[in-house]
Amino acid sequence: MTGLPPAALALSAVLLAPLPSSAACPDAAQGFARLSTPEAEIAYRWQPDGLKVGQFFTMDVIACRTPDGGAVQTIIVDAQMPAHGHGMNYRPTAVASGPSQFRVSGLMLHMPGRWRMTVDLVQSDRRTQLTHDIDLKP
Amino acid sequence: MRALANRWYSLSPLFRGERARVRGRRLLRRLCVCLIVAFAPSVAATASDTTPTFTPEERAAILSHGPWPKQTAPDPSNRVSGNPAAVALGRQLFFDPRLSSDQMRSCATCHDPARSFADRRDRSQGHERLDRNAIALANLRLNRWYGWSGAADSLWAQSLRPILDAKEFGMTAPMLRDRLAVDAETTRTYHALFSVDLANDVPERVLVNLAKALAAFQETIVTQRTAFDDFRDALERNDAAGMASYPLPAQRGLKLFVGKGRCMVCHFGANFTNGEFDDVGVPYFAEPGRVDSGRHGGIATLRDNPFNLLGPYNDGADATHTRHVETQHRNWGEFRVPSLRNVARTAPYMHNGSRATLADVVRHYSEVDSERLHGDDGARIIRALRLTAEERADLVAFLETLSSE
Repeated sequence: MTGLPPAALALSAVLLAPLPSSAACPDAAQGFARLSTPEAEIAYRWQPDGLKVGQFFTMDVIACRTPDGGAVQTIIVDAQMPAHGHGMNYRPTAVASGPSQFRVSGLMLHMPGRWRMTVDLVQSDRRTQLTHDIDLKP
Repeated sequence: MRALANRWYSLSPLFRGERARVRGRRLLRRLCVCLIVAFAPSVAATASDTTPTFTPEERAAILSHGPWPKQTAPDPSNRVSGNPAAVALGRQLFFDPRLSSDQMRSCATCHDPARSFADRRDRSQGHERLDRNAIALANLRLNRWYGWSGAADSLWAQSLRPILDAKEFGMTAPMLRDRLAVDAETTRTYHALFSVDLANDVPERVLVNLAKALAAFQETIVTQRTAFDDFRDALERNDAAGMASYPLPAQRGLKLFVGKGRCMVCHFGANFTNGEFDDVGVPYFAEPGRVDSGRHGGIATLRDNPFNLLGPYNDGADATHTRHVETQHRNWGEFRVPSLRNVARTAPYMHNGSRATLADVVRHYSEVDSERLHGDDGARIIRALRLTAEERADLVAFLETLSSE
C-alpha cells in the first residue's frame, strides 16, 4: 500500500514505455508501483507520473494476483476525499489493454488534501477492492 | 510601573486578618485594573503589528499561488485563437450592438471594460432581468469551464450562448450572418481568417466562427501583477526586504487564507480557483418557487449543446473534461469557484450578486449555516469559520491585494 517510490519517480523515460504484454507483474524499474492485499496484488502507474491538483491523468493497472488466480474482466477506479465527504467530479473509464491489464482515463483530483483511491478488480463472481491513500500537496 | 510594583510588594503584611484580606482584595482588583489600563495599548499594538510567520506547509501553499502571469498556449479547439486578425475582429464584435436583435446591446453592456469587464449589478439585465451576476472577464484561457454553471466547455461556445439566448441578444444565426455580411471590412477579415465568404457561409458556421473571434479577443484580457505576487516572489527568494513591503494585515489575512480559513482548498493555484464547482451556502432560488440548479443544470445543458467539444466544431482540443464529467446529486446548487484575481474590482459577489462587498463575503463564510449545506449528501468542505472582527478585516485586506493597480 505504498505510493510510487522515489526511484520510480526518477524514471520518467521508463514511464513512456509500452505496457508489458502479459500480466506478469512489472516492478519499479518499469515505472510501476505495487499495491496488495492478502487476496490480490496489482501493479500500477499513472501518467503524468507526478500527480497535480486539477490535472487529468491516466492510470495503467495490471492485476498480478487475484483471489482465485483467474483473469480480471474489468476494473473500477474511484477516489474520495474522506474529510470532505465527496469524490471526483469526473467518471473514469477503464479499457482493457491486455489480459488483466487496463488503462483508466478521466481521473482528476480537484482539491489538495488526502484522497483515498480504490481499485476494484471485477471477476465473474467476485469483486476485490484495493485502496491507496494519496496526500495531494498544493 | 515601578511605584505600583513597590506598593504591591509592601502590601504583603496586610494579609493576616479578614479585614486585611478584604482590603487586600480591593487593592488587588484596583491594581489589576491599573495594569490592564496601563498595558492595553501595548497589547493591542502587539496583536496588530506582529509580522506573521509561515510554517513550511503554509509557505508551500503560498508559493502554489504563482508565479504570475501564467503562461498559456492558444486554445486548440479554436483555430483562430491567438491570431491577431481574429483578436481585432473579436474586439470589434465585442462592442458591436448588431449582435443583439434590437441592436441595443453588445457584449460590453454587461462586460464593461471600465468595470473590469463586469457590470457591477447583482444580476445582469438583458431583455429581462437575468438570474445571475455577470462574471468579470479575465484570464479566461485558464478556465476549464465557462459560466457560473459550467454549461460551456470552451470560451467560444460560451461566447455564442448570449447571442442566441432570447433573454439576452435574442438573435438567430441567419440574422447574424445577414447583418454582418453587409460590412465590407468584416467580410474581408472573415474571408482571410476562415477562407470562405461570410455571405455564402452556412449560418451556424458563421455563428461559431464569429464566436471564435470573440474568444480570441477575450483571451487577451489578463490581469496584471499584484502586491500579493510581489510578496509571493519575495518569499520564494527569501527576500526579507521585499516581503516587508507587503502590509501586515494582508500577511495575516494570507495566513488565514492558506490556514484556518481553508480558502485555498477551492481557491487554488495561480488563478485562485480550482476551476470546479461548489455549494457555499448561498440560496439558489432565482425567485420564489424557482430554483437555479447551478452545476446540475449546467451539465445537462452542456450535454445537449451542439457546440460542445464533442461536436463537429472542435478544431482539435482534447475533450477529456467533457467526456468524463459526471452528474451527481450534490451538483444541485453548486456554482463555479470564481478566480480571486482582481476580486476587489468585481463586486458584487456570488452567482446572484447577493454579497455587496468583500467584507460581506468574508462574513458569509464566517457565519455560514452548516446545516443547510450538509443536510443530505452535501460535501463537508464549507463550515462556519467563526472569525473575529480583526480576522475578518485581515482577510479582506489580503483579498484586496489580489487586484492590480
